[in-house]
Amino acid sequence: MATEASKGRWLTAGLLAPSSIWFLIMLVMPLVVVAIFSFGERAPAGGYTASFTFEQYANLPARLKAFQNTLTLAPLGTVLTLLVAYPLAYYLAVKAPSRWKLALLVLVIVPFWTSLLIRTYAWIFILGGRGIPTLLEFIGIEGVRLINTPTAVVIGIVYIYLPLMVFPIFVSLEKLDKRLLEASNDLGGSPFRTFLQITLPLSIPGMATGCMLVFILLMGEFLIPAILGGGKVFFIGNALVDLFLQSRNWPFGAAVATTLVIIMLVIVSIYMRLMMRVSAHREDVSIM
Amino acid sequence: MRLYSIAVYLFLYIPIGIIVLFSFNAGRHASELKGLSVKWYGKALDNPFVIDALFTSLTIAFCAATLASIMGTSAALALQRIKGPLKAIFDGMIYISIMIPGIVIGIATLVALVSVFDVLNPIIADVWLGDKAPKLELGMISVIAAHTLFTMSLVIVIVRARIAGMDRALIEASTDLYASPWATFRQVTLPQLAPAILAGFLLSFTFSFDDFIISFFVAGPNTTLPIYVFSSIRRGITPEVNAIGAMVMGASLLLLIVAQLLLRRDHRR
Amino acid sequence: MSKSYKDDLPITAKKFMEEFRRYQNGSVSRRHFLGVTGLGTAMAVLGGAVPGALSSRKAHAAGDLGDRLVFSTWPNYFDPANIEKFTKDTGVAIQINTFGSNEEMLAKLQAGATGWDVFVPTNYTFETYVGEDLIQPLDLSRLPNHDPNSQEAIFAGPATVNGKIYGVLKNWGHTGISYNTDKLSKAPTSWKDFFDITMGEGSGHTIVHDYQLTTIGAALCAHGFSFNSNDPAELAQAEKTLIDAKPHLFAISSDIQPSMRSGDAWMTIAWNGDALQLNKDMPEIAYTLGTDGGEIWSDFYAIPKEAPHLNAAYAFIDFMLDPQVQVGEFNVHGYAIGDARVDALLPSDVSENPILFPAKELMSGLEFGAASTLTNPDRAELLARFKSA
Repeated sequence: MATEASKGRWLTAGLLAPSSIWFLIMLVMPLVVVAIFSFGERAPAGGYTASFTFEQYANLPARLKAFQNTLTLAPLGTVLTLLVAYPLAYYLAVKAPSRWKLALLVLVIVPFWTSLLIRTYAWIFILGGRGIPTLLEFIGIEGVRLINTPTAVVIGIVYIYLPLMVFPIFVSLEKLDKRLLEASNDLGGSPFRTFLQITLPLSIPGMATGCMLVFILLMGEFLIPAILGGGKVFFIGNALVDLFLQSRNWPFGAAVATTLVIIMLVIVSIYMRLMMRVSAHREDVSIM
Repeated sequence: MRLYSIAVYLFLYIPIGIIVLFSFNAGRHASELKGLSVKWYGKALDNPFVIDALFTSLTIAFCAATLASIMGTSAALALQRIKGPLKAIFDGMIYISIMIPGIVIGIATLVALVSVFDVLNPIIADVWLGDKAPKLELGMISVIAAHTLFTMSLVIVIVRARIAGMDRALIEASTDLYASPWATFRQVTLPQLAPAILAGFLLSFTFSFDDFIISFFVAGPNTTLPIYVFSSIRRGITPEVNAIGAMVMGASLLLLIVAQLLLRRDHRR
Repeated sequence: MSKSYKDDLPITAKKFMEEFRRYQNGSVSRRHFLGVTGLGTAMAVLGGAVPGALSSRKAHAAGDLGDRLVFSTWPNYFDPANIEKFTKDTGVAIQINTFGSNEEMLAKLQAGATGWDVFVPTNYTFETYVGEDLIQPLDLSRLPNHDPNSQEAIFAGPATVNGKIYGVLKNWGHTGISYNTDKLSKAPTSWKDFFDITMGEGSGHTIVHDYQLTTIGAALCAHGFSFNSNDPAELAQAEKTLIDAKPHLFAISSDIQPSMRSGDAWMTIAWNGDALQLNKDMPEIAYTLGTDGGEIWSDFYAIPKEAPHLNAAYAFIDFMLDPQVQVGEFNVHGYAIGDARVDALLPSDVSENPILFPAKELMSGLEFGAASTLTNPDRAELLARFKSA
């Protein structure tokens, strides 16, 4: 029997070995190296020289604006994506004729399967001077500028991440027992109250997943501001790319990256705890 | 509600329509439509760098997705057998690797690999007996390794969710019938996990194929398709980019339809 | 061709000779020839056993050119027709990467293998590239089209470091202001005007480069300081100007042409070739140098230390130095070549074009970029603060 158990242990170890090695070499080691670099100094021609200084962290306020931009536009983009996505997910899960449901859902996902870069690039045409601003001129609104503004970046964000938000909400609404809605109607609940008291709470897990996915991606966003922001709308991602590929200040880049990781850890941990509490609370209610 | 949905679909598809429309542009500048032609498709397909980039991207995506599926599935299976601090550490790793932005992964991998290579390369050169010592460099392998980190965690999460929802009675029945653990795994567990593994593979493939930022930092001299497109956008846009985009979209749509048909047939059986 | 391996060729001797003749006549490309005859594979197997036997007709260089070349340059800085011609002549396909600043090129080279074969650095960068061991000295005997005597020494000189030549002159030019006369009521004449207009009637329609040298330099000139200043107090004033101007900018980008052409942008920092290209298609877009100074520069073809396709790199540079090819380049990008042989081939009115050759008194105020600006951490940080502001 002892050999059986030890065989099991060996099997478990064997199954875990490749992924452990991967985590060690591709996650732990790089993060440790970045942390070490963040205490170093920039070499005279750029790059890194070993040292132990807090100079890089002391210099972080020089990127305050990039952190502020990211920490405002990422939540804003997430919320707007949620607002645009929710009604569509609701329609797909609850209202859409079941014959069309699958096709409509696939239509939402298809853009997600196509190149993010090229989809973003399409908006250069739409938001540029010959796109929407020209159309607006026809109806008498002049001097509207969209491309290279934060608005353009936010439009791009909503567009790119919409499928990622619709899908989890759809999944959680799909599970919703339609008889509950009927019951609520039969009991004389107004549609709005039904939505507020039954549908919305039940879709919280889906919204939570969608928001977290989009938020995480936005915190490291580089492409959308780079393509639609004209070098003027600066996320932390853009600051990082510049630090490594323009000013060649690796230690400062490492400090910014480390700070970003810490901020993410804190925000996501708080968020997860909050969500757990919400769902725990809801279960209490449903038990009563 | 319906009107709203139609509006959202328009919002999703007008940009894609514009890309496809301009890919048939006969003119040189992407911003003006001057007659229709398919010449940019020919140009794109005739350009060895586009084809190279496409193959690089496909190779990377295939390797990263395969590695991720194998390692992720085995890790997910092993994780249900362990408890305590080891499991907590693993959960932490999975959670961190999903949560860290790609840009940080890209930078960290670049910095770490370049530093490690700087240390190792002279040592290899010293101990190498042959003519020309191999040199460690950034390249396709480093991109595959970096992509596999994220996609592996993705597969672990998906497969674990499936394991949690799996019918344990079947496994127990199989064991009761004196099937060997390997036979149980092959005949009972694996078929139940297959859809999850397939989903994980497809997601991993898409992620890797579409990734720009990690490759941008760690690809060394290699050009993936997104890197090619990004630099084309910067050097003044020609409709070649649109043609590439339209073809990639067409191909993924086709794959999606084929996958759907296969799944449906499976279902019926 | 020895008999021993000819027998292995997947083609008959007669067919081979036919193809060879067609190839010699130039009616098929080298790549086609090698492909059809299977010589490509044979040559790869034989390696250097038949040196130069089948290299390009023009005997560009000894050895096989391979079929690929990676060329890193600036936006709108080459004639696509010349690139296509080189590919047709030699079978070498060219991948072009474009960069908006020398810093970006340096960063790519510093971060390890770029795979570049030829790139285009500016005068003030050579010291750093040599110091960092990122560039290789050129073997001028492999560039028969290069003639130092026909070139203007003031422009060609900066590529010589410690007595070795690391680059051959590509073009020279200056950095000024392009503006759309239909949109602006008053023409800018200085960098001070540039920033005043940006914050005035041109608000929302001005572009500055995503490049520390020219953008910080412009702001320094507007205050009457040297274009190359690294003085902290002077840089601080330049930074204030830039940050004040930022909300009024259309974009921070070195690729100015699309936005100027579409009319989204009205005024921009411009290299004179970009200005000439714009002016040729849209005469309302004029160009001026600042009366308060600015940059004069020269660019070079150079080869990075670890270029993977060295033979193709030499062949390509030599091809680009051919005076006829240079004329084609000039006609597309509009930058002066600085080579007497090329000047002789250009129409006479070119030498009177004010965008190419502005008035002497304006030119005399210009400065060459200084090597120290490339690596100065304060300048890099300043630009980054400006962009993230």
